[in-house]
Amino acid sequence: MIALVRKLLRDLRVPLVVVALLLAAFQVLWARVSQRITEELVPKFTAFLPLGFIRNALFEGTGRLMETLMGGESIDFSRALDMLSVGYVHPLVQSILCIWAVGRAAGALAGEIDRGTLELLLAQPIARWRVVAAHGVVDVLTIPLLCLSLWAGNWAGIAIFGEIDWGSADNGHLLRADPRIFAPGLWNVAGLLFAVSGATMALSAAGRFRGRVMATAVLLTLLQYLVNVIGQLWPAVEGLRPLTLFYYYQPQQIILANRWSVPTVLGPVNVLLVLAGVGAVGYLAALWTFCRRDLPAPL
Amino acid sequence: MPASEWLLEAAELTKDYGSFRALDRLNLTIAPGEIVGLLGPNGSGKSTALRLMLGFLRPTRGWVAIGGHDCWRDGVAARQQVAYLPGELRLYENMTGRQILRFLGQLRQTDPSPVADTLAKRWDIDLSRPLVELSSGMKRKVALLSVLAAPVPLLILDEPTNTLDPTMRHELLEQLGHARDRGQAVLFSSHVLAEVEQVCDRVAILCRGKLVHEQALRELRRTSLVRVVLARPVAEVPPLPGLHVHRREGGHLVLETSGPLPPLLEWLARQPVEELRVEPTGLGPIYRRIHGADAE
Repeated sequence: MIALVRKLLRDLRVPLVVVALLLAAFQVLWARVSQRITEELVPKFTAFLPLGFIRNALFEGTGRLMETLMGGESIDFSRALDMLSVGYVHPLVQSILCIWAVGRAAGALAGEIDRGTLELLLAQPIARWRVVAAHGVVDVLTIPLLCLSLWAGNWAGIAIFGEIDWGSADNGHLLRADPRIFAPGLWNVAGLLFAVSGATMALSAAGRFRGRVMATAVLLTLLQYLVNVIGQLWPAVEGLRPLTLFYYYQPQQIILANRWSVPTVLGPVNVLLVLAGVGAVGYLAALWTFCRRDLPAPL
Repeated sequence: MPASEWLLEAAELTKDYGSFRALDRLNLTIAPGEIVGLLGPNGSGKSTALRLMLGFLRPTRGWVAIGGHDCWRDGVAARQQVAYLPGELRLYENMTGRQILRFLGQLRQTDPSPVADTLAKRWDIDLSRPLVELSSGMKRKVALLSVLAAPVPLLILDEPTNTLDPTMRHELLEQLGHARDRGQAVLFSSHVLAEVEQVCDRVAILCRGKLVHEQALRELRRTSLVRVVLARPVAEVPPLPGLHVHRREGGHLVLETSGPLPPLLEWLARQPVEELRVEPTGLGPIYRRIHGADAE
């Protein structure tokens, strides 16, 4: 299995480096955006108008959507730490994370069937469960790397546009922070990646065409994202939010408030447990399906 | 599944896709060191049979075992005994020939390089080039290397000579002969009757998912077709051992004989023969009888 894992990592190295660099670069860029807002714009505007007035003016009506995308009412955009944490829930970051997880998992099994290379692989004395397990190992190795690149972006961004302030919890509007404060949020990022990957792997194990599996997984992920966002704006849909993965993606509240659970009808639920559970169930479903199915001949 | 001396044994092997029966109660055995040709047109069930043997498909009924290991339930142990060349060849194009040989060897926990290097040199393959840069024939050669270099008792080849040039076809058939000499068995599906005749010990002919004919090539090689054009039709053909009339149309007579030729030739010498041709029977007439116009 080590040979297979090595081969899979080798196949992924270019997209992995690209995605890791994108995530890191975005965090660096976001540090600059945060610095501009908290250190330059907010002091300038609050000299004339109270912060509450500006906030209301910005996030009124359709502006609420922007507030929701930035993390909701609890986020104070005049505080550097709050603004930096937006970098974890920004739609672009979530898109990159989900595209990576969906693309990789869709290509893992359905993609190999689609390309016809799975036949070559499974003609060797290798059990099917080992192929799924090898992809699980690849997730276990690549997900931390992506999380670390996100974190490296925080370090670099704060160092370039602000100042690394060891041990400080909060410096208000100044971009002076201890990047270690973001580390707990990475668990949630890893959880989301694993959950999306596991769910897509289940589809991939049953599929034949990478494109179809990818389209289905993207559609389901997007639907969940929209339900989660709309549920924050429209009370009628709010009850559906706990059914989406993104309801359990709360890195901001983990970073800023060390809160690891979200309310559900069953009571408070640990977000990591849910995401890890979804990923694990996805992988188990993939194992169950893939080990029993017929492998179609390549077209 | 009883223990047996066969390297490969299929019993009542059946595969249905919904209401369509792709393979119907195939019974087939292969002994160590035997080359068996699997013949049949497209859709006759050849590839389905091979895919069942490799554990890609789950049998609807029956079973197939390699080295005593059920190909579906104990697929890893069964495939440990097999090297397979797919008909629709798809390789990891981002790898070089050497990388793919090493990768497949690692999965098999063997080192194919000594044999592969010798063959690569002989077949003029540059193993350092990425597969994406190779022609389809070259890619097939690389795949053949990985199959022939694997130290396994059974080689399963699905239309192995596709996209190969005549020299390489000849070379491959020669290598299969060497494999037999080393004690390896070969199951070999093909459309090309001549190459099956040349290399196989036995053929199995499939038609619409059923095994309709099995023939030892040694027997076939002993039979001859005698084509005769007579000035006038003869009433009776003598009852010589192994002789039967294959076709008779006016003065045209086609005889098939597995017996000695001299008595037949003596009889023909007494007939008003205008033309006479003696040729090996070959698989052609049998195949055409099953699949061609003769089958109607």
